[in-house]
Amino acid sequence: MAMKEILDELDSLSRARARELGKAKQEGTPIIEYTGYFIPEELIRAAGAETYLMCRGGEPEPPDAVLDYMLRFMNPLARSMAGFLELGLDPITPMSSMVVAQQTDNHVGRISELLEFKGINICKVGVPPDWTKDIAFEYYVESLKKMMQRVEEITGKKVDEALAKTYFEKSNKICELFRKLNELRMKDNPPIGFNEIIHLQHYSFNVDADIMIEKLTQLYEELIDAPGEFDADAPRILVAGRAFAMGDYIVPGLVEQSGGVIVAELLDEGVRPIEKDVALEGDLLVNFAKNRYLDKTPINIQQPAWDIRYDKIKELIKDYKVDGVLWYQLAFDEIYDMEYTCLSNWMKDSDTLLMKLESSYEYSREAMGPLTTRIESFVESLKEGK
Amino acid sequence: MADKEINRKLLEIAGFEGDELEAFLPGWMESVEIIGMTDEDIRYSVEEYIPKNWDIQFRGVRKMIGAYLREMVEITNTKKYKAEGKKIIYGILPAVCQPYSALKNAAGEDAYVSFPDLMLVTILNGFFDKADPYLRYAEELGFTYGCRHCPLNKMRVGSFAKGVLATPDVIWSWGFNCDEGPKTDEMIQCMLSESWKYVISRIPHDTAFGTPDDEYERVEYMSKVLKEGLDEIAEVTGIRPSDEDMKKAIKDAGRYSFKLGQLISLVCQSDPVALGGNSLTQFGQGVAVPFNCGIQYLEEALDITIKEVKTEIKNGTGVLPKGAPKVGSYFVPFCIPWIDRIFRENGVATTFSQTLSPSKSQLSPGKYGDDPYMSMAETWLKMPFGQNMGYEVEAMIEKVKANKPDGMLMGFFDFDRWLGAHQKMAADMVEKATGVPHYYIESDFWDDRDYSEEALRTRIESICQLLQMKKDME
Repeated sequence: MAMKEILDELDSLSRARARELGKAKQEGTPIIEYTGYFIPEELIRAAGAETYLMCRGGEPEPPDAVLDYMLRFMNPLARSMAGFLELGLDPITPMSSMVVAQQTDNHVGRISELLEFKGINICKVGVPPDWTKDIAFEYYVESLKKMMQRVEEITGKKVDEALAKTYFEKSNKICELFRKLNELRMKDNPPIGFNEIIHLQHYSFNVDADIMIEKLTQLYEELIDAPGEFDADAPRILVAGRAFAMGDYIVPGLVEQSGGVIVAELLDEGVRPIEKDVALEGDLLVNFAKNRYLDKTPINIQQPAWDIRYDKIKELIKDYKVDGVLWYQLAFDEIYDMEYTCLSNWMKDSDTLLMKLESSYEYSREAMGPLTTRIESFVESLKEGK
Repeated sequence: MADKEINRKLLEIAGFEGDELEAFLPGWMESVEIIGMTDEDIRYSVEEYIPKNWDIQFRGVRKMIGAYLREMVEITNTKKYKAEGKKIIYGILPAVCQPYSALKNAAGEDAYVSFPDLMLVTILNGFFDKADPYLRYAEELGFTYGCRHCPLNKMRVGSFAKGVLATPDVIWSWGFNCDEGPKTDEMIQCMLSESWKYVISRIPHDTAFGTPDDEYERVEYMSKVLKEGLDEIAEVTGIRPSDEDMKKAIKDAGRYSFKLGQLISLVCQSDPVALGGNSLTQFGQGVAVPFNCGIQYLEEALDITIKEVKTEIKNGTGVLPKGAPKVGSYFVPFCIPWIDRIFRENGVATTFSQTLSPSKSQLSPGKYGDDPYMSMAETWLKMPFGQNMGYEVEAMIEKVKANKPDGMLMGFFDFDRWLGAHQKMAADMVEKATGVPHYYIESDFWDDRDYSEEALRTRIESICQLLQMKKDME
């Protein structure tokens, strides 16, 4: 089966998720929506709920829909969390028994309060940014435990540990397959681009894990000896930033249409953190917490983070033979803006070009012209550099 | 050579007299030079900016300005202090002053302890309209203009990069509200100086809407965070506050807070309004910011002002005629003092600020008097602006009911993803609970470059007209 067919099938299954959840709800299974990747959806499911990742974006109206309640200088992804609901375009949140929101920064913090203000049952999971301190890790673990208690109260069931282990095994397998696909992206001419990868990542949150594993395996086998998908000398690009939300696919598409290939990414939300697997022996909640909080590259808001993240970027540049870095920043995302300043300072003498692209999810025809021109110019500069 | 006379006049306005003035003048002039202000800047302040925007008919207000000018000299002395072997400890807003005051109590003259960015923006924009060069410089360095960053953080970057601030032995950055504050220190360390040593203390905003933030478990966690912070600082600086140092800091803050509450109550109950909101709020910083010279100068100014306000009330005089409408604010923007003036020009008095007025809960004795860390944590967690919105709104309603404003002014925190983000929702809730109309102005508390006097005048005039009409109908 060709890559396009696999993607089409997964796309169809992913789109069916909302209706599946509606049906599950009707049959008495609670729906728990969650944000970010500090939330163990495997444990929530093992307690008898269905889960759904809240990470939609890429449209201009939802961020604007919350402005009667909210400061306009909040990032558009956070505003979209409540904006789709405000517009009546959110099929999941109204039927969710609870939304579990990781509290990593003020954007999501205040938007969580807007959802509370609107009557949504929110469970906040505290993720202290000062991650190198023991008490901060303990705080996060305790916060997860309290969240799980609330989940169990909703479902009326305790976590089935054996089931949880199976779910984590499957998640680990999915991450392993993404790592394998990433290895293929190291090739001189990769057989798969970021546009496909980001869609696959998003599908992986909505599609049954067994099917996802089967399809990713099939795709990997299909691609392992497949020819490259891009021009032989296509500039190789790393994208970094907070997130490409579900629905925010314009920029990756434009990069690839302009003749570039995105070979690697460093993103903080909307993708599975695939660096390391969650350990399966012992306390799974603690194992998950370690995996997300201690054992991976810190996200932008954690502190210290930026020098570690720069080391990671350098590693990715080397491993994936990157020619240029595209810093994809959500508008008014102030902490990412600061990290970019440091990154540009560090990279000023580097051979690798760096460009910042800010998005307010404004992809009107008026906005698309300048956006396309910027991306084309960036790709052209990289080509000249090669 | 700077003009001594104009600087002398400034210090007279700021409540300095006689020998004290003459002794302070040379250090002040050195400080002005380091900051980069000219005689013309000082003249503008003396002849126009301060008289137009501050209630300097009150000796207490002049003394308050003086207390801040003393701090500017302290800031520009940090490099000298460092060379002399004194320890340099910075902090950032928002915080409560007690842990920092405890450090100062422990170190005495051997350490500089204050929040230099906050002091500089307060002083330079509040009294001179001159913070811009530092803010612009930070923007040139990459603290981009368009992303709506906090001017305090820009000031920290700008003043350090311009060589005004010494590299601290340590900066203790509380990120209990704010993400950008602690991350600014990471930015400085990454970009400007690896020796910029910081200690951060953080707690997520994860309490449920409307539930108390100051309950035992959270207080206990924060007390551990504060203790760890102080332990780290002790390791770096060798300064470890004793229990007595902390108890003194808590006692001083409690006393100051009580007096502040008294002044706010006097002003809010007065008709005519005895004192403007700029001064009232400026006094409020004493509960949140450590002054390296100590709280005594500001407290003296507060004591004098309380007496003067009592006299005004007794005489039936004030800053506006009797019956003028009053507005309370989320936070009167005293760094843009002309906003207060435009309100007054339109017959409306600004009065208390939600943020720096103590609530009943804040004024009541703490539960953990014997444990200074618990006590300091409790003090912070009782500060409404660090709480979840539902809980904060309860205190806001209480203050609106107690102070009886004709209207409330919200906004001025467009750069703040915590303090600025929820104000429209909070306004809606408080308005429904109290019947007091709330008006939102998008603007920047610290920096008026984006929101000029002319740009805001129309909005303020409209608000004043509405309040006057409401008052007429009553």
